[in-house]
Amino acid sequence: MSQSGQSSESVIEIRNLGKVYRDFWGRPKVKAVNALSLDVRKGEVFGLLGPNGSGKTTTLKLLLGLLFPSEGEIKILGKSAADVAKNERIGYLPEESYLYRFLNAYETLDFYGRLFDMPASVRKERSEKLLDQVKLAPQARHRQLKEYSKGMTRRIGVAQALINDPDLVMLDEPTSGLDPLGNRDMKDLILDLKKQGKTVLMCSHLLADVQDVCDRIAILYGGELKVMGRVDELLKAQDETQILSSKLTPEAIKEVEAVLKKHGANVLKVDQPTANLEDLFLKTVQESRDRPGHRTVKEGAKS
Amino acid sequence: MSFDAQPIVFSEALIAWLVTAGGLLLLILGVSFLSALSQGNSGLKMFSSEAGGVLSDLISLSPRRIWALSKLTFIEAYRRKALAVFVVFALLFMFAGWFMGGGDGDITNDQVKVYVSFVLRAISWLTLPMALVLSSFGIPEDIRVRSLHTVVTKPARRLEIVIGRVLGFALIGTLVLSVMSVVGWIWIVREIPAKAQEMLVCRVPVKGDLTFIDRNGVPAEKGINTGDIVDFRSYIEGATKARAIWTFSGVGENSLDAEGNLNLENQFFAFRSYKGDMNHQLLYDFQFRNPEKKISFTTNPMEMGEFRGVRNKISRKLERPGDEKTYDLIKDFVTSKGTLTVEVSCIDREQYLGMARPDLFIRLPDRSFAAGYFKAVLGIELMMILVILISVCSSTFLKGPIAALLTFVLLILGGEDSHKFMDQLVTGRSKENIEVLDQQVKQLEAAYVEAMKMPDGDQKEAVVQAAKKQLQINRNKLQTIKDGFKGGGFFESIYRIYTHMNDTTELPEGNPAMTIMVKVDDRLTGFLWLCKQIIPRLATFNNMSEYVANGFDVPWDSALLPCVLITLGYLLPCILLGYFALRVRELESK
Repeated sequence: MSQSGQSSESVIEIRNLGKVYRDFWGRPKVKAVNALSLDVRKGEVFGLLGPNGSGKTTTLKLLLGLLFPSEGEIKILGKSAADVAKNERIGYLPEESYLYRFLNAYETLDFYGRLFDMPASVRKERSEKLLDQVKLAPQARHRQLKEYSKGMTRRIGVAQALINDPDLVMLDEPTSGLDPLGNRDMKDLILDLKKQGKTVLMCSHLLADVQDVCDRIAILYGGELKVMGRVDELLKAQDETQILSSKLTPEAIKEVEAVLKKHGANVLKVDQPTANLEDLFLKTVQESRDRPGHRTVKEGAKS
Repeated sequence: MSFDAQPIVFSEALIAWLVTAGGLLLLILGVSFLSALSQGNSGLKMFSSEAGGVLSDLISLSPRRIWALSKLTFIEAYRRKALAVFVVFALLFMFAGWFMGGGDGDITNDQVKVYVSFVLRAISWLTLPMALVLSSFGIPEDIRVRSLHTVVTKPARRLEIVIGRVLGFALIGTLVLSVMSVVGWIWIVREIPAKAQEMLVCRVPVKGDLTFIDRNGVPAEKGINTGDIVDFRSYIEGATKARAIWTFSGVGENSLDAEGNLNLENQFFAFRSYKGDMNHQLLYDFQFRNPEKKISFTTNPMEMGEFRGVRNKISRKLERPGDEKTYDLIKDFVTSKGTLTVEVSCIDREQYLGMARPDLFIRLPDRSFAAGYFKAVLGIELMMILVILISVCSSTFLKGPIAALLTFVLLILGGEDSHKFMDQLVTGRSKENIEVLDQQVKQLEAAYVEAMKMPDGDQKEAVVQAAKKQLQINRNKLQTIKDGFKGGGFFESIYRIYTHMNDTTELPEGNPAMTIMVKVDDRLTGFLWLCKQIIPRLATFNNMSEYVANGFDVPWDSALLPCVLITLGYLLPCILLGYFALRVRELESK
C-alpha cells in the first residue's frame, strides 16, 4: 500500500488494446484506440484525459463490454471484459444519464437493485441512503426522471452506479452538466469513494476537475497513450520553486528578493495569490444560505 | 362451418419442429458468425468465446432480474399510453350496435355469428398491432437512447433481457386482452335480445369418419360430384343404394342428453335434378348398424333443413309403429369398441344430398357460451404471444421499424392461402414424381375399395382407416405437386418469363443448361421448405374464433392444442435467436 492509499494490485489491466470501427462492408473506418496499455491500481482515482475523439469513451466502453476489442486484452477485477460476472462489482455512470425516463427515482434504484439480485429490504435501505448521499431533493424522488433537470438526472445516475456498493466505479464525464455546487458535490463524492477504498476510473476533458480528484492520469490523443503518471509529479515545474507566506510589506519583499538573488535565483513573479472562481462562487452561495436576505454587492460588480 | 380441422398428430408435429428448429439453429449460428466476421479476427475470437459463455448464461438465469425487466417493460408501455388502445375499443363498441341490426327480438343465427365475429375480430385487430408495435420498438429504442447500457453493465444476462422483454410485453398484452374480452362478452350478451339468448351456446360435437357407398352398393371413398369446383362435399343419390356412412368413436351413456336422447345434428346440402315438391324439403333417414351383432334399425324419414342445421333427437329406445321389436341405441348399436355406425340415405328419387365429414355429428350437452368465447380469446392471446416473440426476436438485430415490418410480413404470409402457395412451391416439380404418385394413388384407391368389401369384423375398421389415411396423404401430395408443377422453380420461372414461354409448354429437351437449371431448382426447394416452416401458420389461430362464431365449442385436439404447440414451438427458437443476436452485437455500434 502506498502513501496515497492505493495498492500496487491492478484492478484494470489493459494490454495492447486496439479498436477499429468498420463500415457496413467490414472495411476499417476509424482506429479509435491504438496499442493502449495501462493499469489502474486498487484504491486510486484514475483519470482518462483527452480531447474529443481521443478514444477515452471508447476505452471505457471496451472495458464495460459494450464494444468488442479489435485487438489486445482487458482484465477487470481479474475477469475478461466480456464476462458478465465482473459487473457484480462494477458501477458505471454513462456520459449522459441514459436512464429510463418514465421511472421515478425510487423505481429507478429499485430496478437496478433487482438487476443485482438484491432483496427488497436491502434495495429500499440502499436507495434511501444513496438518494440522501447524492442530495436529491425528497420532493423530487417521486417524479418521473423525464421531469428532472440535467443536474438531478446526473445525481440519480450516480446513485444507480453505486447501488451495488461497487469496488470499481467508472465515471464518464461525471461533472458534465453540473452547476458549481453539483460539481463540488461530485468531486467530494469521488474523494469519499476513494476514502472508502474504492477504485475510480473517470473520463473527462474538464482538466480542473481531474486535477482536483485524480491520483494518476493518462492523456490520450488520436487513440494513443501520450502521457501517464501521478498528477502531482506530472504538474510539478522541475526548474521553479514556489514560496507561499502571509502578506509581506514591500520592504520585506525586497529583502526576500535580495536573498533569493544572492543564491542565484531569478525571481519571476511576486504577486498576491487569488482564489479561484469556484471558491468564490461556493463562498457566496454558502453565505447566502447562512444569511437569507443579506445582499453583498462587491465593488467590481457595480458596472 | 366450411372447414374441417383435423386433430393434430403430435409425433408428426414434433418431427417437423425438430427439423425446423435445427434449421433455425443453423440460421442463428450463421447470423452470429456473419456478425462476428464483420468485426474481423477479434470478432471471430469473440464469437468462439461467446459461444462458450452461453451455457454459463443459461445456468445463471435469475428470476428476480427477469421479473425486474418484465416489470420495467410493463411500466414503460403503461406510461407511454399503450392503454390508449382502449379508447379505440370503446369507440367501436359505443357505435357498433347502430350498424349491426337486431335489438327488436328478431335476430337470426347469422346475426349472432356477426356479433361474435365482430367482437373477436375487433379484439384481435386492436391487440395484435399494439403488441407488434410495442415489442418491435422496445429493444431498438433502448439501444438508441442507450438505456440498455445501464442494464448490460449490470449483471443482467442478455438472455434475461430477451425473456424479460417478452414476458413484459405479454403481460401488458394480457391485461389489455383480458379487459377487452370481458367488455366484449358483456356487450354480446347485452346486445343479443333475451329471446335469442339461447343461440349463444357452445355446441360440443363428436365428429365421426365418413365413407360412402355408391348407387350400386359398392363402397366408395367419395360420393358424386354434382359439378362443384370445390369438392369438399360429395353427394348421394336418392332412392338408390347410395349411403353416407359415419362411424363415431367413444360413444356411450355420456353421449346422451338429460332426457336420454342422442342428439344427431346435421346440415346437409341439397342438389335437385328437378324442382320436386316445393312445400317440402328433401327427405332422408338414418340407419343405425351394428356390424358385430349384424342388426340394423332405420328411422322414420326426416326433412332436411336447407341452409340451416337440424337437430334430430333420437330416443334411446328405438321402436317403429307396428313392430314389436325394440332396440336400445347404446346397448344394441354401440360396438364393443365404443363405435356407432350411422348410415344416411336420401329418400327422394333423382335428388341428391350433399355432405362432408363435419355435416353430421353427435351433439353432446352444450357448454356455456362463455366457455367457448374465452377459449377463442385464449387463441388470440397465444397469437399475440407469438407476435411478441417474433417481434422481440427480430428487434434484437433489426431497427424498430424494420422489425415491425418483418413481423407484419410474417403475419401476412402466415395466412392459409400463402401457406398453400408455399406448399406448392416447396413440394418439388419433377414430372417423374407425378407419374409415380399418380400410380400409387390408383393402387391405394383400389386397396381402399377392397378393404371396404371385407366382411364386417374387428380387422375391417382398422384396415379401412389405414387405407383411407394413406390414400388421403398421397392424394394431397399429388394435388400439391400438380398445382406447383406449373411454371417450375425459381430459375425456370425466370427463364419462362424472360422467354415468354407459358407454363404448359415443355422445356427444350437435351439442353444441358435446362437440365442444370431444373436440378438447381430442385435443390432450392429444401431451402424454401425451411423458409415455409419458419413462417407461422396463423390460420390455425383464426379457426378458434370461427368455432365460437358458428356456435361450437373450441375443440382441444384440433384447435386449441395446435395453437399451444405452435406458440411453444416458436418460444425457444425465438428467445435463443434473440439472445444470440443481442450477445454478439456491439450495443454501441451504430
